[in-house]
Amino acid sequence: MTPALDIPVLETERLILRAPRESDFEHEREFFATEGSRFVGGPLPAHRVWRSLAMLIGHWAFRGYGFWALEDKESGTYQGRVGLWFPEGWIEREIGWTLMPHGQGNGYATEAALAARAHAYDVLGWDTAISEIDPKNEASKAVARRLGASFEKMYDDPEYGPIEIWRHLAPTDLENGGMEAYA
Amino acid sequence: MHTANIPTLETRRLALRGPEAEDYPDFKATFSSYRSRFMGGPLNGYEAWMLYAAEIGHWNIRGYGMWMIHLRDTDETVGMAGGWMPAKWPEREIAWIIWPEKAGHGYALEATHAARGYFYDTLGWDGAVSYIDPKNLDSIRLAERLGAKKDPQAATIDGSDTVYRHPSPDALVGSQLAHGIEMEIANYIDPLFKPKGWAID
Repeated sequence: MTPALDIPVLETERLILRAPRESDFEHEREFFATEGSRFVGGPLPAHRVWRSLAMLIGHWAFRGYGFWALEDKESGTYQGRVGLWFPEGWIEREIGWTLMPHGQGNGYATEAALAARAHAYDVLGWDTAISEIDPKNEASKAVARRLGASFEKMYDDPEYGPIEIWRHLAPTDLENGGMEAYA
Repeated sequence: MHTANIPTLETRRLALRGPEAEDYPDFKATFSSYRSRFMGGPLNGYEAWMLYAAEIGHWNIRGYGMWMIHLRDTDETVGMAGGWMPAKWPEREIAWIIWPEKAGHGYALEATHAARGYFYDTLGWDGAVSYIDPKNLDSIRLAERLGAKKDPQAATIDGSDTVYRHPSPDALVGSQLAHGIEMEIANYIDPLFKPKGWAID
């Protein structure tokens, strides 16, 4: 009855990247009830958060890629999500990350985004990717820098307003000595 | 990626199938139009895509959801019908929407009757409601043709909607109501078919 979605499970040193599921909802609901979500479209009422969770799953169905839920291996706790994002109207294919408050400050976004980027380049054959980042979201820009991405331009997003476009290293950059991004 | 595990329901004129990527333009056209005003619309492009993707996610999380209604003859879509229960919904809902230019052919009645039968007979639901804006007279009329009755005691979504409670499975089996629904559908399919006692207007 449940649509069969072949959402791959990825593993990093400390994290499991797996399909989003409804038990992640309470963490997301709490996060989106706070100002901490202001850079990623929040705060949002509970029913909108549930719909966003359902949308994450639907994105996989339509595009063959999407957001993974992050669990740390040690406790199995939901830490946030990282993924590959391209809903209709999006400017370009994106690598995105959002961590729950309890998941921040551990380098989880960088660790998971590297795995997501490798999946985009090696499995899906992407030749580039961007990240859209709120100009005031310094924590997210730090993640982008650690990934080796660089600021490219401002973009007036019809949904979020003025937003920074960061360009990720291309697969060829990574082959030609860009590997320090993994360090 | 596919949504093949969503069951397909077939009726005389209709095939109810899971939402597919190629059906999205039809969905977007209606949800960016005034027609969607009772279902949270009109939506901008991003919101419409988000809701459409959420239709799939709903199936994945709940094991039921909204089908896309296709005409069996032409395969074109004419709307959506099915079950809906996102977080914080008081009860399982039966919902429907017909594209504005496809209204007036009894498609919503035929699709919703089939969907309700599936929920009752296959999934074992013991009842369902529909949350309807009190200004949405077309939907209220459809709820009543389906035998649903206003339930002023039931919890609403946010106080701005009216709850219509569907008849229970037992109240439908072999009842005059069920026969009436089937005769009305038959009349849409063949307007020359006039069951005995059919209203002359």
